[in-house]
Amino acid sequence: MDDEYTSGFKEPCAQCCAVDWGLTDEGRFYCRSCHNVIERTKEVEDSNFNPGSSRVSTISSKKRKLKQERGRQWMVCEGFQFILMDQADALVKLGVSKHFKDEVLHQLWMLYLHRSQQAYTNTPIRSCTARPQTSDSDSAADLSVVSGSETDSEMFPPSRASSVTSNADNSDASLYASSVDGSTYRNQRGGTSHLMTMKKTLVLLHLGLVWARQGLTLSDLLRLVNEGHVPYVNTFQAFPEEMKLSGSDSVIFKVLKVPPYEQVHKETENLIGFLQLPAFPPISRQSLLHPASLCLRYLMEVNLPDDLYPWVCELMKFAQLDDVLQNRYDPFLHRKFPHYDVQAVAIIIVTMKFIFGLNDHVEWESSTRASQSPHSGRTFNLRRWYRLLQGAVLRAQRRRDNDAARKQWIPEKLLSSNRQAENVAMKRKRVSNELQSCFRKLTSGPSGPSGPSDGPVQPPSIFQFFWGDMDGADGPSLHRQNLDLLVTQVGGILKPTNEQYWHPALRDCSSCHDGGHYSEAEPTLPRMFVWTLQLFAFVLDLTPALIYREVLRVERRVLGTRTPQSRKHTKFLNVRLERARARLGAEMRARARLGAETRARMEAETKARVRLGAETKAKEGMTVTPQGQRKRKKKAPDGL
Amino acid sequence: RGVKLILVQGRFRHSTRICLERIREAMLHHRWQEAAEYMVFYPQKLEGSEIEYRQNRELIWRISIELLHHMPNSKLEDYNNIHERMKHLGVKIYLKVSLEQSFHLMLCGQIEEAKQLLAIGESWRYGKESASQHQTAKLIQAYRSLLDYVIWCDKKFTLDDTDDDSVTYQDMHSYFRQASVHLKEIFKNPGVWDPFIVSYVEMLEFYDDHEEALKILNDYAYDDTFPPNPNAHVFLYQYLKRRGASDKKLTKVLKVKQLNWKDILSETVEPRKDWWPALHFTSFHAAQDSKENPELMKLKAPVAKIFCPGK
Repeated sequence: MDDEYTSGFKEPCAQCCAVDWGLTDEGRFYCRSCHNVIERTKEVEDSNFNPGSSRVSTISSKKRKLKQERGRQWMVCEGFQFILMDQADALVKLGVSKHFKDEVLHQLWMLYLHRSQQAYTNTPIRSCTARPQTSDSDSAADLSVVSGSETDSEMFPPSRASSVTSNADNSDASLYASSVDGSTYRNQRGGTSHLMTMKKTLVLLHLGLVWARQGLTLSDLLRLVNEGHVPYVNTFQAFPEEMKLSGSDSVIFKVLKVPPYEQVHKETENLIGFLQLPAFPPISRQSLLHPASLCLRYLMEVNLPDDLYPWVCELMKFAQLDDVLQNRYDPFLHRKFPHYDVQAVAIIIVTMKFIFGLNDHVEWESSTRASQSPHSGRTFNLRRWYRLLQGAVLRAQRRRDNDAARKQWIPEKLLSSNRQAENVAMKRKRVSNELQSCFRKLTSGPSGPSGPSDGPVQPPSIFQFFWGDMDGADGPSLHRQNLDLLVTQVGGILKPTNEQYWHPALRDCSSCHDGGHYSEAEPTLPRMFVWTLQLFAFVLDLTPALIYREVLRVERRVLGTRTPQSRKHTKFLNVRLERARARLGAEMRARARLGAETRARMEAETKARVRLGAETKAKEGMTVTPQGQRKRKKKAPDGL
Repeated sequence: RGVKLILVQGRFRHSTRICLERIREAMLHHRWQEAAEYMVFYPQKLEGSEIEYRQNRELIWRISIELLHHMPNSKLEDYNNIHERMKHLGVKIYLKVSLEQSFHLMLCGQIEEAKQLLAIGESWRYGKESASQHQTAKLIQAYRSLLDYVIWCDKKFTLDDTDDDSVTYQDMHSYFRQASVHLKEIFKNPGVWDPFIVSYVEMLEFYDDHEEALKILNDYAYDDTFPPNPNAHVFLYQYLKRRGASDKKLTKVLKVKQLNWKDILSETVEPRKDWWPALHFTSFHAAQDSKENPELMKLKAPVAKIFCPGK
């Protein structure tokens, strides 16, 4: 087997005088008769080389030429590892901390491989070779979290050598190199629920981000994937040359859709259970994933005034959602994995309900009063806000659709498993490419291509809307406006002017799956409320039903569980929240004293956020967008 | 009001559906550049599922060609490229594309190339497909013959210039023969073959085959299986006039035509009586026409009298 390397070497062995040389895994020549290892080495060029294992190199195949055509043998898990590392690199480039990639994600991947190993002990071919991509010297130390992983490396049986080679040779499409277990990956015993899929790469990334307490929520991650900043569609094209794919692999690696939010979330819960993770690290007040930080960010995103933020914080406190220790996620105690982004948005909506009313009457009346007041320029006016946002969202939706229309889904590489399918696919691909290049040529005028390229179409940013006076902004900023007329000072306490609070039945309904019976309740809800749900649903790119469910959950925590008299219909109850308001008022008084401190903190947090956005933009060099797209000057809102 | 929601943002089918919507919208408003920009991405659909491929193949071809018509920097090679590729993509559209491609070549004045293309199309066979596409195949035959006639005309034009015309005469005759063989076959099929009839009769007259010419024209005009066509009678009338037929005979032809046509016309006009004349014969148009287009007005006036007595 090693003859191609050792055939040139005809020296007799010093010990036994035989001329029968083989190669150790370290690449040294050894005598097959007496196992005497000499100094001579072959050049190590294959990446299957793994110092430390006791396996003999399996790369040498019968014909060297065939080997080069077929590439080296690789397992599906290797492919996913490659993709995962690629995605993590992209995230790090966007500003996520290296700790996420090098430690958290790395360990999660190891853990996953370890756990999924245990399902396939009777078929050694299925074993995945867990090779750390990074060459960190710390990699050994990193394995400490994964219990017994040192012993696991011995679990990867060396016996795969012969059986694997014969498997590959016997395959009908021997000309079509593929992963070793690609065609059988999905048909394994033990069920398919814990197999690696492209969707699972997103799940792992999300898990890693939450564990590392990074400010990138699931909706952010999915948006980045959709915009092309995180590789997902056709990442397998970036595989190194030696990892060749064929038709059977396409089922595993080819994607024609990005999974929706709820699906990824559900799989995250499943994976947490599968990995049997312990309690997550607590999310401190300073971290970007804390509700306080997320709320601030979303308030800025939808152009609500900063003065709303203290009220949001109060509500958070009241609902005990900001308590670091109490809200620490523990899979054994809490059944449901939190939706960090949806929760933050729900808190904001409940606050809005307190302050504005959102029952189709109160908010418009106060808007009218605000517009008639002498200082209407500085007073926040919900009607004006609504009009701004509605326009901005419609434009943004159109942009999103345009970008979706211009997405390149079909990969350049052709994956096929037999000659006939390949011919057909090749013919169609040629026609498609011909047409595409024809129109590319026709649409690129002297001013350069006015159409977009196939790459990411928007510069990466945490924010989707830009408010301010700069070119290309979505509208004027309302951040500095005050809440006059919406809050009144009564005896030193600030209270919301609106004295009504409505809510549907808050009883926790266990029978509904997507929770909240939104589709039934929606026709009875106030239109402004529904519009607000839809607004945030657009920002987060998920269904309003999800947000509605979370809003109910927050309300339950604030108001307690109330059952309406009629079970069938939701009722709008006018609840006098003396208790809640008094408490809010007292806290507001304290806050007024600490007002300056709060503002400073807010400014710092905002600056950090904007810096993240600006940095990423600078990194991508995208201060000037291609012609025909919106131009956004790099500008940090000055201090708020 | 209400914010439009797309629940799952990333999906091949969703993307391509929006892409097509954008293309259609742009084309309807004659924003050709914009449509072409989206057309950079839509051909992906050919690499989708089998159903997507089949549903879109002809559509993509037609959109591409239409856009080429309107892009200022499109060249003939772009047309040919696309036609060739789409042709060989599938048997179901092979003949259709061949025919359209030949039309385009004709429009560009490339008669020989067009004819060659049609000749290839004529000899194309693909089992059951040839049977199901026989209508297109007939058209291909017919147009090939028409091109034979065009080339015949070209050669006829050169006749008077040279002394030794025997070669040209032979050439012409061979084209005539090729054309006539197919045209005779074509004329057996009911249809509207006006330009072909006219061409064929012209050639027959050149070769003094008046018996054949008369037969063809009579069949065309009087065969009941053919769709009613006033031009058929006109051609017959004109031919007879050329041949110096008696007035009696001429009027007989016309009368038959008139009798036939009165019925047919009243049938079609009846349902449209209340809106069609009003749409076309307004006093505004009349005023405009008398200034800008008096000929049109002269034509319209008697027609108006027929359609709107008393206006």
